Amino acid sequence: MRSETLPAAPETRPRPAPSPSAARARRRGLLTKVVLYGLLVVMSVPFLYPTLWMLFSAFKPVDEIFAVPPSLLPRDWTLDGVSKIFTVTPFARQYLNSLYIAVVVTIGSIIVCSIAGYAFARIRFPFAGKLFLVLMSGMMIPGEVTIIPIFRWVADLGWMDTHLPLIIIPIFGPASIVGVFIFRQFFLSLPQELEEAGRLDGLGRLGIFLRIAFPLSGPAIAAVAIMKFLASFNMYFEPLIFLRSEELFTVGLALTRYQDSYGEPLHNTQIGATALTVVPILLVFLFAQRQFVEGLSRTGLKG
Amino acid sequence: MKQPTFRRPVSTTIAVLGSTCLLLAACSGGDGDTAGDAGDGPVDLRMVMWSANEGHHEIFEQIADAYIDQHPDLVSSVTFEPITGSSYVSALTTQIAGGQAPDLAWVSEGYAAQFVQSGVFADLTPTFSEAEGYDLDDLLPDAVELWSVDGDLYGYPFSNSPFGIFVNLDLLAAAGQPVPRDLVAGGEWTWDRVMEIAAATAQSQGVAGFQPAADPYTMWNDALGAMWMSWGAQPWSEDGAECTFDSPEMVEFFDWFHTQIFTNGAVPGPGEEHDFASGQVAVRMGQLSASTGLGDAFQWDFLPLPAGPEGTVPVVGQGGVGVVARGDNPDVAADFLAYFTNPENSALLAQFFPPPRESLLTVEALTAAAPALSPEQLQGTVIDQALEARTKAGNPAMSELTDAVRMDLDGLWVADGDAETVLGQVCEDIAPILSGS
Amino acid sequence: MVADVAQVAGRVSGGAPPRRASGARRAARLDALVGLAFVSPVVIGVIVLGLVPFGFVIWYAMHEWTPLIGQFDWVGLDNFSRLAADDAVRSSFVTTFQFAALLMVLNISLAMALALLLNQRLRGITTFRTFFFSPMVVSAVAWVVVWNYLVASNGGINGFLSVLGIDGPNWLRDPSWALVTLVVIQVFKGVGMNMILFLAALQGVPAELKESARIDGASPRRIFRSITLPLIAPTILLVTMITMIGAMDVFVPIQIMTQGGPGDSTMVISYLLYRTAFEQQDFGYASAIGVLLFVVVLGLAALQWSTRNRWVHDEV
Repeated sequence: MRSETLPAAPETRPRPAPSPSAARARRRGLLTKVVLYGLLVVMSVPFLYPTLWMLFSAFKPVDEIFAVPPSLLPRDWTLDGVSKIFTVTPFARQYLNSLYIAVVVTIGSIIVCSIAGYAFARIRFPFAGKLFLVLMSGMMIPGEVTIIPIFRWVADLGWMDTHLPLIIIPIFGPASIVGVFIFRQFFLSLPQELEEAGRLDGLGRLGIFLRIAFPLSGPAIAAVAIMKFLASFNMYFEPLIFLRSEELFTVGLALTRYQDSYGEPLHNTQIGATALTVVPILLVFLFAQRQFVEGLSRTGLKG
Repeated sequence: MKQPTFRRPVSTTIAVLGSTCLLLAACSGGDGDTAGDAGDGPVDLRMVMWSANEGHHEIFEQIADAYIDQHPDLVSSVTFEPITGSSYVSALTTQIAGGQAPDLAWVSEGYAAQFVQSGVFADLTPTFSEAEGYDLDDLLPDAVELWSVDGDLYGYPFSNSPFGIFVNLDLLAAAGQPVPRDLVAGGEWTWDRVMEIAAATAQSQGVAGFQPAADPYTMWNDALGAMWMSWGAQPWSEDGAECTFDSPEMVEFFDWFHTQIFTNGAVPGPGEEHDFASGQVAVRMGQLSASTGLGDAFQWDFLPLPAGPEGTVPVVGQGGVGVVARGDNPDVAADFLAYFTNPENSALLAQFFPPPRESLLTVEALTAAAPALSPEQLQGTVIDQALEARTKAGNPAMSELTDAVRMDLDGLWVADGDAETVLGQVCEDIAPILSGS
Repeated sequence: MVADVAQVAGRVSGGAPPRRASGARRAARLDALVGLAFVSPVVIGVIVLGLVPFGFVIWYAMHEWTPLIGQFDWVGLDNFSRLAADDAVRSSFVTTFQFAALLMVLNISLAMALALLLNQRLRGITTFRTFFFSPMVVSAVAWVVVWNYLVASNGGINGFLSVLGIDGPNWLRDPSWALVTLVVIQVFKGVGMNMILFLAALQGVPAELKESARIDGASPRRIFRSITLPLIAPTILLVTMITMIGAMDVFVPIQIMTQGGPGDSTMVISYLLYRTAFEQQDFGYASAIGVLLFVVVLGLAALQWSTRNRWVHDEV
């Protein structure tokens, strides 16, 4: 993997030294710029509109949600829907569930994937090739196929309606393989001399990993953390079949269960809750988006 | 690096997988756990239910507390756990399959046969017939029929709530439509008239006209199962083995309903979302219990079902409770259910759920359920209906049928959909499911 | 990834290159232990949660299994012969391929287009990059729930179209639109990730190469085809694989928006499997469908690898 960074925003970085191509860019006609910006703006609509619509519709009365012609902003702002979010289901609890599961899965995955990735990249050990093949073959088995026996075992172990399967399966199961690849790829690109220096300083294998390799693997950690956190927070299928108690639900599952006590859907409450699941992560993303995106693009996601 | 071949890794992959499988073929996958009553000491019971209504839960808990007071040695707690969302049955069956069987479960009439005949529910007769003062004979035979096999009771239909028609009087008045109650009095309360009113109101007020009890395009039985009875139609034969979707009555009904959607504009088309409670629907079919959810944002009324070609056919929606055979404590659960549904507690439940007991279908008992209705209305639209009413069809293979029929009916929900062709197809497709049951 | 395997396998089978003689032997033995210990959590995890369950699926597929009433009876190959005659299964495979193919084409071409746009030096370009990526961080259920409102036949999109005088189709209820609608919704959700990967690859193409080609008089199109494309081909291959695996797995939008309908127009295999197992409680037959699905996925993966040498010239 090459390590060129993405272009930082021009306003935050000193202009690059003039090169023929930069000069050409400057000479490029105003028209081209207008066309490009126009294209960018138009393309942004389907990406942004749903999120904006969701944020505003949470404050609409139900009849406005289906009003024709539709409007983005509520005509009558109301807290009617939002106020029920926490009373209809234990939403705060469900939110905490999703967060803590995602954090545990993220940390667990980083440990499991980084040590395995490091070993495959840097350590000579017997059966390395065969074990790598085992991982490869595991990746080809679709998750929805193996869920049937796993469902059964979870039941036999008495883990139904607990968070254990939601934590253990993503950390250790086939979903972790991509993380191993990312770390392995990263450690392969780490200069050998760093480790030699560590060895001369008297560090053992473990010490080299803990003191040198792992601390340097920031981009890989970021990429794996982002992927695993989002995957866990997005989880829907597993909670659907493993959980039954409302207090143990994750937010994804909870979002589909918003209805009043007569079984009628609570449209604006559902939309409000949906917005609540999205906003915090979106904010984190907006503040950290450069690290976020660059972390993803800089790691060894290559063939 | 250059990597000339891909064959070796893939074939090795297959070899690895193959040997894993061989290794495992030796292992058996038998079903280990069997339920039995857990030794001694009081147990915790759990009942899953469809409703999350606070009023319902309050009364359920009141009965449970009284039972625990009387039998502290048997039961230490009863939890009533609602499952909301459209996937009630699959959520419930997933729990049972996953070894998380609840002790008791509330299911609707459509799935009664499935739960009763497949053996998911346990036989209640031994416990009920020995329970003091239970009076099994007081139960209406028509009401318990769906829940019985060979005269043994497997589920108790505690709720027999009649279907009726809710109208938004404000919308109708604004559209210059007649007052429905006058039509009922004048004997003009027919499905055709209802649809005329709905279409006219939809047109002039820009709202949805008629909304069935559920989304007809995804939940055909919940939505239409109570309607086609006024046409004398049934989806399958009495014994559930033969398809009658292609009967002339059913074809006529679907033809009529199709016209109301695509020609008259009385029924909103597929994929539209409307909300009666917020005033976007003129006429809605529903059950008595939904009335408590309506505020005073607009004037509304609740009327009996209109007449179809077969006259007025009152229909009740049933909810029944059974003891899950694979639960941990079937015997204790049955004992609790006997208490829960004895005459005294049935009278308590009657404030929400018209009971299947002849002795309790009285105006006095039901006034609490619907204080808005007059004694005459109670007698006329609730009690008489509950006594005579029929229940919607159910089938032992309901879970499979629901999807199969829905997929075929989708072919009808287009402007040029033809009822006869589509219903013929339905029968062709579900015949194997029905005969297999 | 085959390259990875070969790399690791080659290193191991090729024997350890001689290291600084004797004292190193102990270190090597220790290394072997540490290495095994390091890879064991994930290897054991993948075996226990991936390979072993798959073996069980084959075993289950030979049973009539209804956990609802505790039935588990050997039926041999009955489920497979039922599978062979089942039109619903056949058509759901077709639907799955249509879904996956359409999603891959739309996703990858849009991702490439956006990456090329973002590769321009324009003020504020990172803002747009953020916009395009933002649906990635919206939870899958939330995204689908919102679009469900927008594509309702009286929902926001048709409302907007009607203002323009266009009578929009009934997106989710029209058999000829439902699958396309789902694909488009999924593409907007996930294209950001592929876009970022492409963008990184584009920026890894040395500017000098393009510059010298330009001096030689090559047109921009020619430069893209002869220089850029071959250099980013490995990324395209990777993105294609990831996107395909994701497309075969689709579940959330189907379960929440269409339940496989209208008709069976969106009945993809993963949803059919879920329904057979968890709604109809036919776990044995669901297992048989699972075995078939695995065979197909394996076949597809093999096909993809077999064609790769033809279009991936440069291996990094």
